[in-house]
Amino acid sequence: MNVIEVRNLKKYYGDVKAVDGISFEVNEGEIFGMVGPNGAGKTTTIECIEGLRKPDEGEIRVLDLNPQKDREKIYKLISIQLQETSYQDKIKVYEICEFFSSFYSNPLDYKKLLDKFGLHEFRNSYVMKLSGGQKQKLSILLALLPDPRIVFLDEITTGLDPKARREMWEMVKDLKKEGRVVFLTTHYMEEAEVLCDRVAIVDYGRIVALDTPEELVTKSGIDEMVSFEVDMIDVSKLREVKGVSVVNFKDGEVVLYGKGGDLLKGIVDYLNANRLTFRNLRTKKPNLEDTFLKLTGKKYEEEKDEDVN
Amino acid sequence: MKMLIETMKVDFKLQLRDFVVLFYSLIFPSLMLLIFGGMYGNLPSPFYGGFGTVDVMVPSFVGIVVAVNGIMNLPLTLVEYRDKKILKRLMATPLKPVYIIISQLVVNLIITIIGFLIVAVFGKLIFNLHFYGNVLLFIVAFLISTLSIFSIGFLIASFIRNSRVATTVANIIYFPMLFLSGATLPLETMPKFMLGIAKAVPLTYAVDLIKRTWLSSDIAWLDMGLSLSIDIFLLCAVTVVCFIISITQFKWYYD
Repeated sequence: MNVIEVRNLKKYYGDVKAVDGISFEVNEGEIFGMVGPNGAGKTTTIECIEGLRKPDEGEIRVLDLNPQKDREKIYKLISIQLQETSYQDKIKVYEICEFFSSFYSNPLDYKKLLDKFGLHEFRNSYVMKLSGGQKQKLSILLALLPDPRIVFLDEITTGLDPKARREMWEMVKDLKKEGRVVFLTTHYMEEAEVLCDRVAIVDYGRIVALDTPEELVTKSGIDEMVSFEVDMIDVSKLREVKGVSVVNFKDGEVVLYGKGGDLLKGIVDYLNANRLTFRNLRTKKPNLEDTFLKLTGKKYEEEKDEDVN
Repeated sequence: MKMLIETMKVDFKLQLRDFVVLFYSLIFPSLMLLIFGGMYGNLPSPFYGGFGTVDVMVPSFVGIVVAVNGIMNLPLTLVEYRDKKILKRLMATPLKPVYIIISQLVVNLIITIIGFLIVAVFGKLIFNLHFYGNVLLFIVAFLISTLSIFSIGFLIASFIRNSRVATTVANIIYFPMLFLSGATLPLETMPKFMLGIAKAVPLTYAVDLIKRTWLSSDIAWLDMGLSLSIDIFLLCAVTVVCFIISITQFKWYYD
């Protein structure tokens, strides 16, 4: 069953086509991700689905409800973490938990969640005293209070250190284990690759590709890289090995590109058959980032932490 | 209803953790009273038409408390909530958005009342403060005044996007208002020209209305070119106009 259906979504800001005709579905039980550079339309899309922005065109159904019209019903079933929300400086952790709990008739026990997220000892702290990672955990905790069927996470790990980021990933995986659908946006390709069952690559307000991370990479047709060190080699013979497309040999190092499941085996067989001793054999498979670069034709800006959208 | 009460509980706690609110609402008026009461006492004074200085000053100080809550606190809180996207986050919950506004109005009203009670009790204990008016009439005057000043704050919150700008604007409006409305310095001491400026300040009418209803149950009393009907008319007009504009212009978040 499709829990989210988006048909031909458009949202323009003046001349800027923030979202320019996006369609997709999200299925029960999956972690669905949107990746793309800053300003690609990720946040606009997610906020249209959440009912926080009004689409100019197109149709959105979330759990068979219209996010614009069924506001009160929908916010008992879905929950969100906004990109860059902060809370009142001088509200205490337990106070904001109680406040958000009061919105729902049967909320999850925030005390158990504080325990689970390692925030128990901070329950009496002001929110402003929490670290970035702790604030994000609190955001997820608040989003979980209604025991939602779908959780929307917008750039959940932006600005976090690597350890906190990995903790977030574990939390997101747990959401899936609990049977929730997760819809996330990120501009970290690695994050999408690790977490998402399916990924939509967005650029200039359009989806340029949508599939499982593995399929996206495979379909991209990007070559695998194999490198090794060898004293002497006949480059033209090496080119004849099945799957190999490009071979470079310089200063005793071979760097070659090619594809196919037998690529590495073919190369090693060739080297052994010709009694060539090789050292430091390494391979690098294409990843989602390579795929992204190929599809969008641009250098990915991982450093920028802000989505202008 | 439960949600509204929870919202007010949170807002109230947060206000009590805000130094500016505490100082100007709860401490500053009493401090002023100590200074001026200490200087002039509360014996009948010909300058105030036979009323004691403290008896005239205490109801005027309502203006200080109303203004700090309505002009500073209310808009600054709302703009901060919007700036930090708290309003946006709350929009994605079943909470009725209007509760956030109601909560702000109610909580600021409660703090205004507490602030006024403190200075009144202080006046009673130290300077033997008198109340000459009709209690019911005074309460109505208090509410009309408060609501009108709060509506101005709501208007500020509707037009200003950024917390820092809002703080500047609120300060620019608040402090001159404090001294030009009769809330701190008596209008009786002002030359005609300054009195003219004072008449352009809405808080002047709020202070006048509260003072009238405090000092007399005869509502036609005390004329400085102001009158009860003008006070009530102007304050109600301000309230209606500001609320209508605010309701149409207020944004919970910006796209």
